[in-house]
Amino acid sequence: MSGDRRRIQGPEVTVAPIIIKSTDREKIQLKDINGQRRDGRNLEDIRPIFLKTGLISQANGSAYIELRRTKIACGVYGPRQTKIPSFSGRGNLNCEIKFTPFSCLKRRQPYRDAQEKELSQLVYEALAPSIRLDLLPKSTIDIYISVLENDGMASCFAAAITCASVAVADAGIEMLDQVAACSASYIDGDIYMDSDLVEEQRESGSLILSYMPSLNEVTHILQSGKVEVSLTTQAIEQCTDACSKIYSVMNHSLLESVKNKIQ
Amino acid sequence: MNTKNIVTPGQRLGFAQDYVSGPGTYVRGNLLYASVVGMKRVTKQTTGESPMLTVSREKQQSAIPEVYSIITGKVIRITPKEAVVSIMVVGNSPCKEDFQGIIRQQDIRATERDKVKIYNSFRPGDIIRAEVISLGDARSYYLSTAKNELGVIYAQSIEGAAMIPISWQEMQCTKTKTTEFRKCAKPF
Repeated sequence: MSGDRRRIQGPEVTVAPIIIKSTDREKIQLKDINGQRRDGRNLEDIRPIFLKTGLISQANGSAYIELRRTKIACGVYGPRQTKIPSFSGRGNLNCEIKFTPFSCLKRRQPYRDAQEKELSQLVYEALAPSIRLDLLPKSTIDIYISVLENDGMASCFAAAITCASVAVADAGIEMLDQVAACSASYIDGDIYMDSDLVEEQRESGSLILSYMPSLNEVTHILQSGKVEVSLTTQAIEQCTDACSKIYSVMNHSLLESVKNKIQ
Repeated sequence: MNTKNIVTPGQRLGFAQDYVSGPGTYVRGNLLYASVVGMKRVTKQTTGESPMLTVSREKQQSAIPEVYSIITGKVIRITPKEAVVSIMVVGNSPCKEDFQGIIRQQDIRATERDKVKIYNSFRPGDIIRAEVISLGDARSYYLSTAKNELGVIYAQSIEGAAMIPISWQEMQCTKTKTTEFRKCAKPF
């Protein structure tokens, strides 16, 4: 209005902001008297997993995972020639995770944002120790993960790692062992395994563990938030137990795919 | 089909002292593990060594060129110094996506290597069989056709008809009977 365009002009009349206290969150009970969660699970139970390979026929390997509402598809391409000219005796691993615009409560941007870049780097860190890249010189393995529905960011990330590992095994790429990943949330001094979106909003911290069950080696731990050391060690133990259960589901899906090919 | 023999990566197969590790397996500590999804097979060794454990993949991994492997590819581009080849098959397994290889002028034949002309050895569009001699540089593998059984296995003449080899240096068009120069592979 006035000639000064360099400064952002505020309103001429100021009013104090109205803070609406959301009391809805306090009303939702996360666990009842028996220690059962809202969907009937115990604190240490993970959600039932549906895992199937061979979803994407054009890819070398692919897998699809469902954890109740979380749905993730993964395609693996490779080994193929590295496009960027840089000679290396080891193969390259390129991970890309992408949330579809309709996957979260709020619409996500179609282009890659900082969170996706960070998660892609973390998926790489979790999977790279398990793949025999030294047998694939000058080649690249591309892993593309697409999150179709996201019900809890930490458990979604853990499921993405599990799904990607099965897809790499489905592609016939040599690996040391499969990587199973599992997440845990710290809420009011309790450890909630595999928490969904509602439980995640009340957490004070989280732990995501990637584990190779047959070799008994952890490939990646990601912890965020505020937590006591004793709770962390307990959470790591619970996560490794859960990862062993997830491992049997992964093996079952791979064996099923082989049986279907033979018949 | 015995489904008990299907193994997944990371599955323990046996002790390292009882078996020799074959393709699809690896040794860690004193145990033998599987590294791919497939059927476990035990092959008795003839030389008196321990039997070999292999895991044969049900799904073939997309092949990558290795040194001394025989590849089949198509010539994409030629320059006075080299021919650029798109590697499509390694041994008997196809590549899902092509790799790039180069045949340098001195690797086309075994004799008179400096006098060879690329234009009289390969043309763009020819299908050739070559051997990988090195991993090469960042962009391409280095290939060689300097053996009798390596060279052009299929080519089309300028008229577009298929050609048949009449000597190791010439091919004849089936339609017009004109000859063109190629470095031909010896037919089996």
